[in-house]
Amino acid sequence: MSKNSRWLSALMIFALLALVSINVAVAQDGITELTILWAEWDPANYLQQIGNEYEAETGIKVNVIQEPWGSFYDRMAVEWAAQGDAYDMTVGDSQWIGQAVEQGHYLDLTDFLVSNGIDKTVTPATLQYYGEYPAGSGKYYAYPTEGDAVGWAYRKDLFEDPQNMADFEAKYGRPLQPPETWAELRDIAEFFTRPDDGIYGVGVYTQKDYDGMVMGFQNVFFSWGADWSRDGQVMGVVNSPEAVEALEFYKGLYQFAPPGTGNAFFAEMNDVFISGQAAMIMNYFAFFPALINPGVNPYAEVTGFFPGPKGPNGDQFVSLGGQGLSILSYISPERQEASKEFIKWFAQEEVQRRWAAVGGYTCNINVLESEEFLTNTPYNAAFADSMTFVKDFWNIPQFGELLEPAQTYLTGFVVGGEGTAQEAMDNIAEAQHEILVDAGVIDG
Amino acid sequence: MAAQSTPHPEVNYSTRVDEISGRARTLNSVRAVIVILIALIMLIPVAWMTLTAFKSRPDAVAVPPKVLFEPTLEGFLSLLTDRRQLTAEQIAEYSQRTDLNWADQIALSRGQVITGASNYPQRLANSLIIAGISTIFSVALGLLSAYSFSRFNIPGAGDLLFFILSTRMLPPVVVTIPVFLMYRAIGIYDTHLGMIILYTVFNLSFSVWLLKGFLDEIPREYEEAAMVDGYTRLQAFIKIVLPQSLTGIAATTVFCLIFAWNEYAFALMLTADRARTAPPSIPSVLGTGGIEWAAIAAGSLGFLIPVVIVTFALRKYLLRGVTFGAIRQ
Amino acid sequence: MLKNQAAPPATSQPKPGRQISDRTLSQLFIWPTLILLIVINIFPLFYSLFLSFTNYSAIANRPPEWIGFANFDRLLNNDDIWGYFALTGRYAVISVGLQTVIGFGLALLLRKKFRGSGVITTLILIPMMLSPVVVGLFWKLMFNPSYGIFNYLVGFTNPATAPDWLANSDLALWAVIIVDVWMWSPFVMLLCLSGLSAIPDYLYEAAAIDRAGAWFQFRRITLPQVAPLLLIAVLFRTIEAFKAFDLVMGLTGGGPGDATQMISVEIYSQAFLGQFRTGRASALAYIVLVIIIAVSNVYIRTLNKVREG
Repeated sequence: MSKNSRWLSALMIFALLALVSINVAVAQDGITELTILWAEWDPANYLQQIGNEYEAETGIKVNVIQEPWGSFYDRMAVEWAAQGDAYDMTVGDSQWIGQAVEQGHYLDLTDFLVSNGIDKTVTPATLQYYGEYPAGSGKYYAYPTEGDAVGWAYRKDLFEDPQNMADFEAKYGRPLQPPETWAELRDIAEFFTRPDDGIYGVGVYTQKDYDGMVMGFQNVFFSWGADWSRDGQVMGVVNSPEAVEALEFYKGLYQFAPPGTGNAFFAEMNDVFISGQAAMIMNYFAFFPALINPGVNPYAEVTGFFPGPKGPNGDQFVSLGGQGLSILSYISPERQEASKEFIKWFAQEEVQRRWAAVGGYTCNINVLESEEFLTNTPYNAAFADSMTFVKDFWNIPQFGELLEPAQTYLTGFVVGGEGTAQEAMDNIAEAQHEILVDAGVIDG
Repeated sequence: MAAQSTPHPEVNYSTRVDEISGRARTLNSVRAVIVILIALIMLIPVAWMTLTAFKSRPDAVAVPPKVLFEPTLEGFLSLLTDRRQLTAEQIAEYSQRTDLNWADQIALSRGQVITGASNYPQRLANSLIIAGISTIFSVALGLLSAYSFSRFNIPGAGDLLFFILSTRMLPPVVVTIPVFLMYRAIGIYDTHLGMIILYTVFNLSFSVWLLKGFLDEIPREYEEAAMVDGYTRLQAFIKIVLPQSLTGIAATTVFCLIFAWNEYAFALMLTADRARTAPPSIPSVLGTGGIEWAAIAAGSLGFLIPVVIVTFALRKYLLRGVTFGAIRQ
Repeated sequence: MLKNQAAPPATSQPKPGRQISDRTLSQLFIWPTLILLIVINIFPLFYSLFLSFTNYSAIANRPPEWIGFANFDRLLNNDDIWGYFALTGRYAVISVGLQTVIGFGLALLLRKKFRGSGVITTLILIPMMLSPVVVGLFWKLMFNPSYGIFNYLVGFTNPATAPDWLANSDLALWAVIIVDVWMWSPFVMLLCLSGLSAIPDYLYEAAAIDRAGAWFQFRRITLPQVAPLLLIAVLFRTIEAFKAFDLVMGLTGGGPGDATQMISVEIYSQAFLGQFRTGRASALAYIVLVIIIAVSNVYIRTLNKVREG
């Protein structure tokens, strides 16, 4: 390299660094603003509305930053990795909590929640799933904010049509009504699958990336009495006979699904319902407001809702959705205090009532049980019901790794028709066993 | 006309052997018809996107797909505003009001009230700044390097060129984490500057290679003649080479702009609120109801228009081709 | 035009000392590019190389732990990974092959101008101007057997019996290829068109006088003259095909099962999507890098041979 060019390169680097240094962040004093990270969807808009009320009352501005669902976790995770303080709080997904706690990203809120009596204001199931880690430890890291679970929407016009009712009763020997067991649901799905009329029985989750498939399948899986682990064991549990049977059943349901739902999650479920192709769909309660909106759903007036049905032995479980509000541990103590003040304000029954009124799914016991809430929408009753039998996937730090083989083999079998249910569950059990042994969660 | 500038006498096209016969002329119109047919087929998805942008939510997913429907601006409204769902009583009360404009009316038909502008215009502006400036940089820097590689005897040129190319080979997904950490450390995470630098670098390899390809086609004799006449190398470059490489510059500009304009993975991971561009925002126009197809289509169309304008403006240069072959061996 | 330019203004006679030597000029021209590339690329490149030898998760508060070749060992002994490589290779060959044929064909058709050909050419370029992630999402709508338009256009009007492109393990890859070819054939076309218009007419005239056949003209004149730009187009498309990500994620997410799990999608799902196996993902990325470098080298050798020959 010539002398000339060496000088030149030094100049270039210098110029670059000079440019860069302009952007150094400015420190601030006095808490005038709180920033909350959440996914990009309507409940975040509702939270912003509640936040605006907080600003009106206290003068502290609340900013709800919305990140698309597809990158919500990635955004949060890289922020954790950088131990950044860009956000004060996050309304984090229930599955994240193990990782966030073990790696120290969330602030321990046990004393704060207990001493203020906030832990007693929310339903035990929501506190357990959104707030507590490890399970049963009595240590809390989040305030249950947006409760959610998988529920069902159905077309009342089809169910209440006299011809349908008579035909159904003649064929299955019982009246046509919203199903209480999975077997009934299957029959109804079969009954309404009429490709020539463009109507299909049931829409179920099948999406491959992230967790869509698992969140749909779990409703059947848990209700069949299967589980992701038992007594520290995975082999023989994940691939137990019940689990295999549950998977075969789920694939059976997929046979009655509208065409084009081979990679479907909440958005596609609403789409097939709105387009009149499905008699029933599963979906998170959070996505039901659109279905009672006549401007969005032509069948809004004739849409009914029911909670997840029971399995062959009477077990009834639905996949958990929803999020709790956590404080990130990398912010200054002043900001931590200010965040706690906000949660304290937000957790008041009066504020929770308004939260429910604008569209948030509150976890507050009194609000949930109030007549006003139960009758506010056609699905609130089913929601309050479902929140008593929710069940979640793993929430330990390795949940993402555990999801991956489940997603791949489940979609491979259900959608792609590869192999048998036994092989799929065997493969999942094997892969998850290995991951858990590697992580030291279970013994080899 | 460019051909005038070539030392080779201009070809009189009408004397060309293959153009005389009537058969050739028929072939020519057949060819035009085929091209137009292919173009039409290729444009069907774009046309469908345009239709979808004006559909209501139920029409967008109607079975069978609707070609005729009542157009609505719902999609554009979803894209450009934030809305809030109203309860039945609120709707009744709200619809009594007389001061509602057309946008409010559309929102109301879906039981919603507009609460403010969405962040889409801001993100579109970010895209314009970031893609625009980075394209200028990558073409300018690329042109200088390409000229050097094309004209000067640079030791290890082959290796250097390969190094430049190799910077494009690593899948971006895996580079995002180190780049994120680096940007974080020097404080250009989520800034326009950071994204401009990144896209410039991202496009440089392509720009150098492509421009070198074009410059190689321009005979050295031109500059050499000019330099014999007393031009300096720099003057020869500016006054002779630059005007003749406009085709290459136009093509490179269009490609760099398209890449930077549409880039998704880096934008998703390296920007948050301040410098986020439009591509990561468009697919996320999800309300509670799921995918707002009309809004996505509207966003994609609006996002397409600036690139189409630039391409149309540069069309003349793009399609002129390189006109120097005449004296090439 | 050139004549006017070539006559230098009398005042611009070079003065000794003011003139920059070619050597300095070339340095001045090249270094900004190289410095920028080095500054921005070196750290990520070496850091991810380092990470590929470690057990590391970007989101764990643990420093990277050196494990030597364990990541590579594990990856290279994994049949699934080889399957994904084979899939990516098949995708790259078919997709880039079709793009080359269609793009080159279009360029040949558009080569001789007719009225409106300029506008038509610009319109054909529109698919590649769209954002890949939007293209993926929107084609997903188009491929839907019920409310998508694709099946209706190709003749399947009954959703019940129409192929479900994205949910069928055999068709999903073809669906991705169709979209990729639709999107990027114009790219190849544009570069070929530039190359074609550089071919001097007298070559064809000479051939016509010699009564050479069309095939001979194509093989001996058109192809060699277009080859440099065509190969650049193919080179970049191949590199991009190995990195295929946005489009696949938008369309299939790699599914159903792993029917469209391209290697870049695999890297993404290892590096993000809840797994954050940063070390192993880096190792996989480096394996991909080595393959791309090898493939590129073959191309560049060919390119140089064509140029010289």
